Amino acid sequence: MSQIAIISQPDQGVLLDVSGCQSLREALEHLSSTLQVSSQFWQGLEVSINLGALSLAPDEVQKVMAIAKGVGITPIGVYTTDSFTKGSLQATNIPLGSGNPMTLPEVNIDPAMIHDAIPVDLPITTIESNVVSDAIIRNERSIRKTIANRRISITQGDGSQIVVTVDPEMAIKTENCTKSEVLPEEKIQAVEEEETPAPLPQTLYIRQTLRSGQCVSHQGHLVIIGDINPGAEVMADGDITVWGSLRGIAHAGIAGNTNAEIRAINLQPIQIRIADAIARSPDRKGVKYTSSAAPEMAKLVDGKVKVYKYKFN
Amino acid sequence: MTGRVIVVTSGKGGVGKTTASANLGVALAATGASVGLVDMDIGLRNLDILMGLENRVVYNLVDVIEDRCKLRQALVKDKRHPNLCLLPAAQTRDKNAVTSDQMRELCEEMKKIFDFVIVDSPAGIETGFQNAIAGADEAVIVTTPEMSAVRDADRIIGLLEARKDQIEQYRLVLNRYRPAMVQANDMMSIDDVLEILSVKLLGVVPEDEDIIISTNKGEPVSGTDNTRSGLAFRNIARRLRGEDVPLMDLEVKSNTWINRLVNFFAPVKA
Repeated sequence: MSQIAIISQPDQGVLLDVSGCQSLREALEHLSSTLQVSSQFWQGLEVSINLGALSLAPDEVQKVMAIAKGVGITPIGVYTTDSFTKGSLQATNIPLGSGNPMTLPEVNIDPAMIHDAIPVDLPITTIESNVVSDAIIRNERSIRKTIANRRISITQGDGSQIVVTVDPEMAIKTENCTKSEVLPEEKIQAVEEEETPAPLPQTLYIRQTLRSGQCVSHQGHLVIIGDINPGAEVMADGDITVWGSLRGIAHAGIAGNTNAEIRAINLQPIQIRIADAIARSPDRKGVKYTSSAAPEMAKLVDGKVKVYKYKFN
Repeated sequence: MTGRVIVVTSGKGGVGKTTASANLGVALAATGASVGLVDMDIGLRNLDILMGLENRVVYNLVDVIEDRCKLRQALVKDKRHPNLCLLPAAQTRDKNAVTSDQMRELCEEMKKIFDFVIVDSPAGIETGFQNAIAGADEAVIVTTPEMSAVRDADRIIGLLEARKDQIEQYRLVLNRYRPAMVQANDMMSIDDVLEILSVKLLGVVPEDEDIIISTNKGEPVSGTDNTRSGLAFRNIARRLRGEDVPLMDLEVKSNTWINRLVNFFAPVKA
């Protein structure tokens, strides 16, 4: 119900929501600017449109469709709550949307938990990346399955014996051995709970600058090639990566994924939200419009949002 | 406790409604009253920016009205005045999201918490304006000494008069007043404006560059000393509380270097 929202779910395609627009003109302007800037992006996607309560005559509906067709989109469905528009859509043989249109995800955050984002002066290379660590855990798990419940005796050159026990509940235990690696308990549990590996979340690419009042949400990773201006909002189940300046509000891991990360070339958001944690940018001192010198990444550490600077050697 | 709901409105855009709302909020809070600021400019909010509270906003007015959160959760406490709270407008929602009845209900609820509820209305006379005045007990009309702004203010006063049963009184704040230009006969004087509008004057705020600085900093001028506009807003706040405060000295002083030096060291006089 924003002025315009792009809502995307892997199994339901993409919904262009202009139900927040007051007039046809406004809706047309928003649609054409959104569609044309990123025209290649839309091809091959299942796109539907939500016109909300706009009351449109058949020729006005045609105008909306003309914009979509101009960039190669044939909407699979158009939603409306207005009976006159419904008639216009039927008269022009445009399929109505089935079911209810997708809506923006509910934000469930306790404002009392807000804290200043914590800058961390560490080169990014020292931070473990979630993508890698998840992969390591999966690998570990499959190895453990294959060698579960085995005892292996190894006779060393000097005649002494090392007994290695492999316990599926715990990590590899060795006796008479100096090196032992135990995975953190919570990570093992996370793996155990996950019976089948989750399919890799899909990534939505948007090649466009998001302006105040615009909103994008996606169930998966989100990549924006462009800026996110103050007043614009992006939400994703997975990570958010901005190839540009992030000055608005970004909410990663909206469904509760605390491992979600937010990266931007110029990270100057009003707020950063990861899962149910919320951090604000420190209050301005004086009037400054400088940009940060290096790309940064925000992630959740011990329930607090920390911001790391990328440093390149 | 039953507070007063004061709507700040103007008709024309850009005359300083939001600036006045923020400054009156801060000035009233500084007198010890508890104040709730409501941004009704849904879709084009910026009261939170003026207050420097943008980074604290999580929920907003539409979330409260649509029951997605409690009023208490949506109120953003000011960082300098603990008895001042802001209810932000929705940035990404349109004006039709709220009805007059819902707004009236919200104002009733806010009145129970605060001594003063200040509602920043959007420009124009459509739905947004109608919603903003729906729960108001009185109105502050902001205008500048320009024909177009005065004409729009007149239109607004007409609309407010039609609601006499609900809105007990409406008073005028003349904003961006330039005494030097008035003296040179290039600008409408206070009397010229009052003659057209025939309405009670609540205060006059001189044009002040500090306003621009304070807007960008997110610190309303009425919270800082040594600004003429800040003093004007503090005076207006005192008048809203029922004190009898004379208009501040707006007369033009000759702009020689010695005068400037004296003014620099002298405290701003009421």
